[in-house]
Amino acid sequence: MFDILDTVLERACAKGAPDVEVFAERSTSRRIKVYRQEVEQLTAAQRRGLGVRVFAGGAVGHAYTSDLSDGALDAVVQRAVDHAAVSDPDEFAAVPEPVGEPAAVHPFDERLTRATDERRIELALSVEAAALAADPRVKTVEDTMYADGDGEVFIASSAGVRGSYRANQCYAFAYVLAEEDGQVETGYSYTVGRALEELDPAACGREAAERACRLLGARKCPSMKAPVVLDPFVSAAFFGVLSSALTADAVQKGRSLFAGREGRQVAGEILELVDDGTLPDGLDSAPFDGEGTPCRRTPLISGGVLQGFLYDTYTGRKAGRGSTGNGLRGSYSGLPGVRPTNLVVSGPVTPLADIVAGMERGVLVTDAVGVHSGANPISGEFSVGISGVLIEGGKLTTPVREVTLAGDIISMLTRVRALGDDARWVPGGSILTPSVVIDGMAIGGT
Amino acid sequence: MDIAAFDAGLLQATIARALRRGGDFAEVFVEDRDSLGLRLEDGRVEQTSGGREVGAAVRLLSGEHTYYAYSDALDEAGMTAAADAVAAAVRVGDGGSAVIDLGLVRSDPGRHAVRIPPETVAIARKAQLVRAGDEAARAAGAEIAQAIVGYGDTRQKVLIANSLGDLVYDDRTRTRFTAQVVARRGDVIQTGHETVGGSAGFELVDEATARAVATTAAEKALTMLDSRPAPVGAMPVVMANGFGGTLFHEACGHGLEADAIAKGASIYAGKMGEVVAAPIVSAFDDGSVPNGWGSQAFDDEGVPTQKTLVIEGGRLTGYLYDRLRAREAGAAPTGNGRRQSFRYVPIPRMTTTYIAAGGATADDIIAATPRGFYAKSLAGGQVEPASGNFVFGVAEGYLIENGRITAPLRGATLVGNGIDILTRIDMIAADFDVKTGVCGKDGQGVPVGTGQATLRIAEMTVGGTG
Repeated sequence: MFDILDTVLERACAKGAPDVEVFAERSTSRRIKVYRQEVEQLTAAQRRGLGVRVFAGGAVGHAYTSDLSDGALDAVVQRAVDHAAVSDPDEFAAVPEPVGEPAAVHPFDERLTRATDERRIELALSVEAAALAADPRVKTVEDTMYADGDGEVFIASSAGVRGSYRANQCYAFAYVLAEEDGQVETGYSYTVGRALEELDPAACGREAAERACRLLGARKCPSMKAPVVLDPFVSAAFFGVLSSALTADAVQKGRSLFAGREGRQVAGEILELVDDGTLPDGLDSAPFDGEGTPCRRTPLISGGVLQGFLYDTYTGRKAGRGSTGNGLRGSYSGLPGVRPTNLVVSGPVTPLADIVAGMERGVLVTDAVGVHSGANPISGEFSVGISGVLIEGGKLTTPVREVTLAGDIISMLTRVRALGDDARWVPGGSILTPSVVIDGMAIGGT
Repeated sequence: MDIAAFDAGLLQATIARALRRGGDFAEVFVEDRDSLGLRLEDGRVEQTSGGREVGAAVRLLSGEHTYYAYSDALDEAGMTAAADAVAAAVRVGDGGSAVIDLGLVRSDPGRHAVRIPPETVAIARKAQLVRAGDEAARAAGAEIAQAIVGYGDTRQKVLIANSLGDLVYDDRTRTRFTAQVVARRGDVIQTGHETVGGSAGFELVDEATARAVATTAAEKALTMLDSRPAPVGAMPVVMANGFGGTLFHEACGHGLEADAIAKGASIYAGKMGEVVAAPIVSAFDDGSVPNGWGSQAFDDEGVPTQKTLVIEGGRLTGYLYDRLRAREAGAAPTGNGRRQSFRYVPIPRMTTTYIAAGGATADDIIAATPRGFYAKSLAGGQVEPASGNFVFGVAEGYLIENGRITAPLRGATLVGNGIDILTRIDMIAADFDVKTGVCGKDGQGVPVGTGQATLRIAEMTVGGTG
């Protein structure tokens, strides 16, 4: 693959664009869906392609192609050059320079390469079976999926960046419908890893079923101001939205509610938030980011105080500092953007049972609908639909649904009062978080 | 390579190869997609990007099983590998079906006319549009802090061949212009969003249109600076035309998609012919709206798109089918089998979905509402089709007092249940309009139109912070 990258660098130079970077990937993946103990869908995929970024006097042009033939390479370079010609120049835009050694991360497990379709199907079937067996009120498992991917990325630039690595991962997922007295409730769960041996299909199916069943009989509760316990799935969704405001890109463009708050208290004193692209069990860990910059650990909030932001090369230069290794690419067709790798929420923990026992009146929130549409990361305001279980007199009592949780992210963060002892990885953004207790939230019901 | 001139012999051989160990339907989907995206932020056209992706997918249906393989290679080796991958997955083989001759059916290029193919327009002219949008947004008021203006065009050519003998070529051009504007007053930050898009060429967006879209977005953001927190509780909700169509899309449309029906994961399953909405409600899904953002001549399984009546006078009259679910249900496919690209299995999806216009005017409806919430534009929403529970964020909302629109309200969410809400619609105006969006389902995004006229829901839960 490096010979193709070198060809692209040469062609760009020949077209009068000596400052150039090329990023390529090739991968294979499998996706299996089962339904009622039969394979519903099996997808086998092969994917490859490359993207070229040209820097012409600070103007950036990007182009991509899935066709790696000689003619296509020529065309993609020409397009990147043409695109740079219409972009406005920016004094801070330049080819990323090589920065130190790649992080000592090996996001690849040999065992996954030996997985057979039979084993994968068996695993997916066992997730569904566990969900169906968990509770007689489970009506159906609407979605049971197993998926894995194995991919290599390559990067080379005229500045001397050159690197590649291989990464793989697998996961299973279940989405359960439970029914009682004509009411249907839903629940889901995941299991993730880098080898089939690391997945726990029985726990995944069982938990999805339990999450659906415990909402049966749910109804609206009265409107109130009360503490809430966001379980790890819900907490991860909130921190996922919040993290976009912790990028230097949002800060520099005036759309971060954290701008100018470095060194200030932005969260409850117990809260620690770290971005860490080097954790061995983090799904988004890698030796380097989409610009070839080594991944690393970056504290964002410590003791509730804002420590800093995430940077790629461009935003780092603009701020007069280096990249934090957060210039990530979704695929070869995407430009690098400032995004978190693995986010870790931590701090002193309290057993979840004690948290509930100490709460006179509140809500354990187990599902939030509309976090991505109902939360505005720019203004920080959010209003989402939630389901969960009421906490009354220190006990979990009746389930609730069709109620809203509203507020703004900063005042919510400052009211973080406790963290549970139930930290776990939640995929979909790769976030490690426990349950989070927040005081005085507005709950809208009847 | 021009995929319209793709070797029919290779398509036929691939279909036969896929079916050789069994299966009752095989299909090859070949795609060539060329895209361009321009984005302006902070007054600068940034990192202009575009490219070309080609690939092919082979799908094999065997009973209720789907086997799917794709590759970025359009050569014989890539097609053979994909056919072999699906054939190898067939567990119980009973020999292949005969493949009949493929007769080419081309889509009618006049259906969604492209007057100015975007690829014939210099990129610099497209860049002028986003600059004009930025200028217009910033001219709307001193409190405009930021404008993000986007232009995008895509030309997607697809060639679909299957073991039924269909061979369809469809050439789709889409153009879209978007503006997101941020206004700031002290610590208060508000945003406004507006968009225009269609299955059309560069003629869709001239400089005046670009300015108008950006100005509308800017005015929304400025208006919301004066907003106060929305109240909490149940009240009458008037949904404005256009963006309000997200209501029907989320609250009802997803539940009509035949995959949710087949799994009993929809509140509309088993309710054909039953009352699911107020008698004044009729609704359609129409993938054939001329030049509609959610339109194309054929769906991604080569079935012609059509106008499907889903609710008539409050009664459920139709579901949205792809081939697989139509076959299972013994129904005819409705042209709703869509996929994001060759990398995705087609599934039942909406196209342009809307509640038909009524006879009232928007003014009548507001005047008839002593106190309520007016949702002018929605930020997006989500639904669980199984329960019908949905939630929308409101981007622009107002209080209605004494039959008049008064204070702007922020931070509101509308929460409810599909059938409940549809049966509570008690007034519909004639001011029908459609807005464009990208709908996500099973990790696939497809362009959709959502539409309606101004209408009132007698009671709905508003979740605010006030």
